[in-house]
Amino acid sequence: MVDAARQPLVEVKTFTEVEKVEGFVGNFKVTLREKSKYVRADRCNGCGACAKVCPIEVPNYFEMNLAPRKAAYIPMSQSVPLIYNIDIDACIHCYKCVEACGPLEAIDFSMQDKIVEEEIGAIIVATGFSHFDPTPMEEYGYNRYPNVITSMEMERLNNSAGPTAGSLIRPSDGKKPQRLAFINCVGSRDKRFVESCSNFCCMYSIKNAVLAKQMNPDADITIYYMDIRTPSKGYEEFYNRARSMGIHFIQGRPAMITEDPESHNLFIHTEDIALGKVVEHEYDLVMLNQAAVPQPDQNHMSSVLNVAQSPGGWYMEYHPKLRPMDSPTDGIFFAGACQGPKDIPSSVAQGSAAAARASRVLHSDSWQIEPTIANVWSDRCVSAQGKACGICERSCPYGAIDYTQGLAAEVITAKCHGCGACVGECPHDAITQLHYTDAQILAQIRTLLADQPEKKILALRCHWCSYGGADLAGTSHFEYTSNERGIKVMCSARMDADFIYEAYRLGAGAVLYSGCHPQDCHYITGQVIGAKRAKRLETIFERMNMSPGRFRVEWISAAEGDKYARVLNEMQATLDAIPPEDLHAEIERMRPEMAKRLSRLPNIPGVQRAMEHTEVVVNTILSREKASV
Amino acid sequence: MIGSGLANEIRAIPGGENLEMCYSCGTCTSKCMVQQKLEPEYNPRRLLRMVMMEMREESFANPTTWLCSSCDLCYPACPQQIHISGVITAVKKVAVQNNQHTPLHTAVVDQQTCVACGLCAEVCPYDAITIEVRKLPYRGSIPVAVVDPGLCMACGACGAACRSNSIGIPAEYSDEEVVENIWNWLNPEGALS
Repeated sequence: MVDAARQPLVEVKTFTEVEKVEGFVGNFKVTLREKSKYVRADRCNGCGACAKVCPIEVPNYFEMNLAPRKAAYIPMSQSVPLIYNIDIDACIHCYKCVEACGPLEAIDFSMQDKIVEEEIGAIIVATGFSHFDPTPMEEYGYNRYPNVITSMEMERLNNSAGPTAGSLIRPSDGKKPQRLAFINCVGSRDKRFVESCSNFCCMYSIKNAVLAKQMNPDADITIYYMDIRTPSKGYEEFYNRARSMGIHFIQGRPAMITEDPESHNLFIHTEDIALGKVVEHEYDLVMLNQAAVPQPDQNHMSSVLNVAQSPGGWYMEYHPKLRPMDSPTDGIFFAGACQGPKDIPSSVAQGSAAAARASRVLHSDSWQIEPTIANVWSDRCVSAQGKACGICERSCPYGAIDYTQGLAAEVITAKCHGCGACVGECPHDAITQLHYTDAQILAQIRTLLADQPEKKILALRCHWCSYGGADLAGTSHFEYTSNERGIKVMCSARMDADFIYEAYRLGAGAVLYSGCHPQDCHYITGQVIGAKRAKRLETIFERMNMSPGRFRVEWISAAEGDKYARVLNEMQATLDAIPPEDLHAEIERMRPEMAKRLSRLPNIPGVQRAMEHTEVVVNTILSREKASV
Repeated sequence: MIGSGLANEIRAIPGGENLEMCYSCGTCTSKCMVQQKLEPEYNPRRLLRMVMMEMREESFANPTTWLCSSCDLCYPACPQQIHISGVITAVKKVAVQNNQHTPLHTAVVDQQTCVACGLCAEVCPYDAITIEVRKLPYRGSIPVAVVDPGLCMACGACGAACRSNSIGIPAEYSDEEVVENIWNWLNPEGALS
């Protein structure tokens, strides 16, 4: 931090909140609220005379509220920049600090919050994490028993700059504890609170135990754990070192802690899994290793930045393995635990990666976007006619569509990733996607189903997964039915209901609607939109009494070539099982309904012309077929 | 042993679905009152493990299968939210289907005097009592209380509720034995008799 502040090209803004983020990659406009410190940064020299005379003491958040601080304070002794701050909520306006400051005249009670707008090229979010408060876990008695503390509190007690100058003492009587216990997974790996593993607590508790053991080698130290997870380089060695130092490890999740009300000693009740027996041990001090949870204002920041959150509340990355430092919005990057619980080495690595990613943005004059972006025909958008709609805005996984009732929806090109979800969802066919226009895909469908459509299986596949699956089936030489006719779109969210209606209108034997597995979508939530639509279509066809199996929905990953082949073969078998005359009758029965649903199709720009061209192609195919017969 | 399908049988019974979610943390065992006050060998964690590992005979013979009182102290403490007493009840059901008997003296109905009022079924905390039509000597086909020994935990609530003295726990907790005991405690020297 000190180094960063010294860099001429780095500007550090502390005590500043991000209020609004607008724009797109390379051109963000960020509104900041620089909160008033009531101390002028250009005059304060950090001497601390104000804090010395300040009569007000409040709990010090940085010391986990174990020590007081003054109303005129710096958050911690290494604060950067070293500028004092008046806690205006605690201040009683005695103005002793103004006197103490003297000729410097740094203290200015007339200061106001400043709203600043900045032009920003790229944003790195590194807001960190927070701790689970173990108070609701009544079995551990935190806040009820004085000698049950959290490991963050222990960290401060153990710190030589901390409130006890580095001596670890019992809060109840100030004595040095001889018997210490650490309990891991407090709140984490617990479906009642935080389901996930917090990643670093095993190492963290071992580190604290080793520190405590080094300070007091006679101490009896025990770590209660469910599983010890030490996967990184050097971690297992450190765990072994702790064991060799004589730190005890008991596998078992303590069910409760009880207290002797006189001595305030604690009893941990647990089943020692290795012994298979319930044991009870007495301790002087118990440390709870709480779960890591997202920052309390993470939801708010997530809406300010317009980045999605993963199920645990952490910011969602573009791709969990390949792009963990990128947010789905171009130009916004993540570093550290705001994206998920992380230890220091991983946070540093991710931070460096995010900085490198951000510098790519800053050093380029132009930015390459997906070629398949969406476009709105503003004359067809019903919002322009004053109607309430907004379906496209709600469907966009990237927040790339601006919708205001009364104005035509607008795609922010730099934010669009080209999944086509809005195109598939728009009920008025007012949006199109470059290279995957309705006209192009309908032309493909007509051509593929030109000859003997009732024998064909039309497979709609998404670019990233099921198309890859089909590709793998081919390169792996998995045999599947030759009646399959495939069409690629970018995402299952693009698979417009019109395509499927058109296929059945033309008399297709069966249609496969395939995409990625729910959690694998390359477009965040594209698959969810696709799956919803598929469900709707299934219900529609069920109501029309279509033979089961003629419309099939399957989620196939790029690694599941065998599944792709199997699904196609199963569909062929289902199709073969339907007597040809029944199938013919069914197709004829459904055709008028399908045509009715497609009545607006010719109005879509380009479709009419594409159909005329396709007609020629289809006729050529048919005449060639006839000639060969 | 593996492959006999005990775990699948348990999963199919309501209450047994979450069996495989257990990661053996031991919270349930250290929370359990039966374990602390009654039977040191009682261990729900180990029973769940036995079922997962298809140890059929061992899990039927285990005291945990039979002694759980479904007090559900462990359920809110379980970090995986497994309804442990539900799993144990499911094991018990399968054990009873396989002709295993509880070591406890479960409630017994005197079908000659039962009037099928349903009071016992109403008070039973384990839903072990149902009113069913049975063909009985001298009484014909008539509804009477029937106890499912796989569900009965021998608490004796039915015996206390019954107005015709037709249901109760036999042997050392029968009405006669309990009255006898009370009498002996009150009157150790035989002075009152």
